[in-house]
Amino acid sequence: MLQPLREIEGGIKLSLNVAGRLGQLRKPPILESFLRQVYFTGVTAATGVVLRASGLGALIIAVTLDVLDADIDLAVKILLWVVFREIGPLAAAVVVILRTGTAISAEMAMMRVSGQTRALRYLAINLYDYLVVPRVAAVMLATMALTFYIQALAVLGALVLSPFIIDASFMELAGRFFELFAPVDLYYSTVKSLLFGFAIAACCCWHGLNPPELSQNAVPKVITRAVTQSAMLVLTINAVFAYIVFGILFFGLVTAKV
Amino acid sequence: MTELALRYARFTGRHPIVLTVPRGGVTRAHLPDSQAKAHLVTALLKARAASGEELELLGAATAELNAKRRDRLRRRVGAVSPVVGLINNLNAWENISLPAAYHGSPPLERVAQIAQEVLQRFGADPQAFLARLPDDLDSLERKIAAFVRLLVAAPELAVFDALDEGLSREESARVSGFEAEYRARQPAGTLLYVDIKEA
Repeated sequence: MLQPLREIEGGIKLSLNVAGRLGQLRKPPILESFLRQVYFTGVTAATGVVLRASGLGALIIAVTLDVLDADIDLAVKILLWVVFREIGPLAAAVVVILRTGTAISAEMAMMRVSGQTRALRYLAINLYDYLVVPRVAAVMLATMALTFYIQALAVLGALVLSPFIIDASFMELAGRFFELFAPVDLYYSTVKSLLFGFAIAACCCWHGLNPPELSQNAVPKVITRAVTQSAMLVLTINAVFAYIVFGILFFGLVTAKV
Repeated sequence: MTELALRYARFTGRHPIVLTVPRGGVTRAHLPDSQAKAHLVTALLKARAASGEELELLGAATAELNAKRRDRLRRRVGAVSPVVGLINNLNAWENISLPAAYHGSPPLERVAQIAQEVLQRFGADPQAFLARLPDDLDSLERKIAAFVRLLVAAPELAVFDALDEGLSREESARVSGFEAEYRARQPAGTLLYVDIKEA
């Protein structure tokens, strides 16, 4: 019973600490750590998602038209509402959890177990400043960039590949897409992806720095907990955010009273 | 009366320990076991005595210090010790320059100069040495890197914890040069060797 409360308390403290110490990013070693993390999370992850993301958009349009017997209008609406608003940020979050979340939690747990965090403390280096702040800030930024990247590729992929599957031209699909597109879609996914990045990085850092025991055996346990809880946090944020912004939850099963 | 750099007492454990270290000198402390050694080094690096311990460090009674003063005092103490190891995902240069880059002093040009001089003095090629990760360094090289990091911090009290551990006779002879190098750079500094008493 105490463990979940401890984790919530620790997560909140860590989050507040990061928010209050973002100015530390100006220090050269912290800035360098931040840039390294952006490169690892954003740039190296991006190459693998190109084909998958562009295929995703086309697949959704093709399946929608086929299964729902939908017209172009409905297909584009689904592309915007499902791919752009929901699947884009979620797909980016999944990539970040699997690639970066595991790496961060394992790295931190190894540092903790092998006494490297203690060495940093003895060198009068604040662990939050040096380890947590750059990772959280970088993962937030990289998750947002990766989200835009996946969204752009998925939409572009759908618009380019769909004419081969359905009876609609690229111009028709694109025109309809931009008619339906509203700035709120962009703000929505920006804020959501930043929150996803924050939650994933903060959760993984906290678990990495607080292994259940100080032995090598703790590392896989830390990774499992960090990944599971990050995924749960992302899904919770997604559901709550959808309810707050659009008044719907669980694909419309719960709707806000207006 | 000689001014003390350190007065440490520990009353728990099997063997009570009382240690006094005069300021500016070289002292060799042989402790009864590894636990006692770890307690002493930790107390010095934290500038804080655990329960059953007393510690006066560089003229300050550590029990009465607030967090800020304790922090300042801690920066006046440095160690070449397994307790303050190197960070595995940073190369030797990043390890050596990390405290200076983080705290903003001394300037990195000065750090590079110290590293170059000391590494050459101990027979290493600075460029190749500094680019390597700790996993690629042997025991002696790790100690040299930790020593350079200590010199950069210029502590008033330097602790050499089990300096010979894991080294061959020839390597031990090389690390014995640490004392002269530290003394040349910190003429008024205090040196404390900490080892376990051989049975």
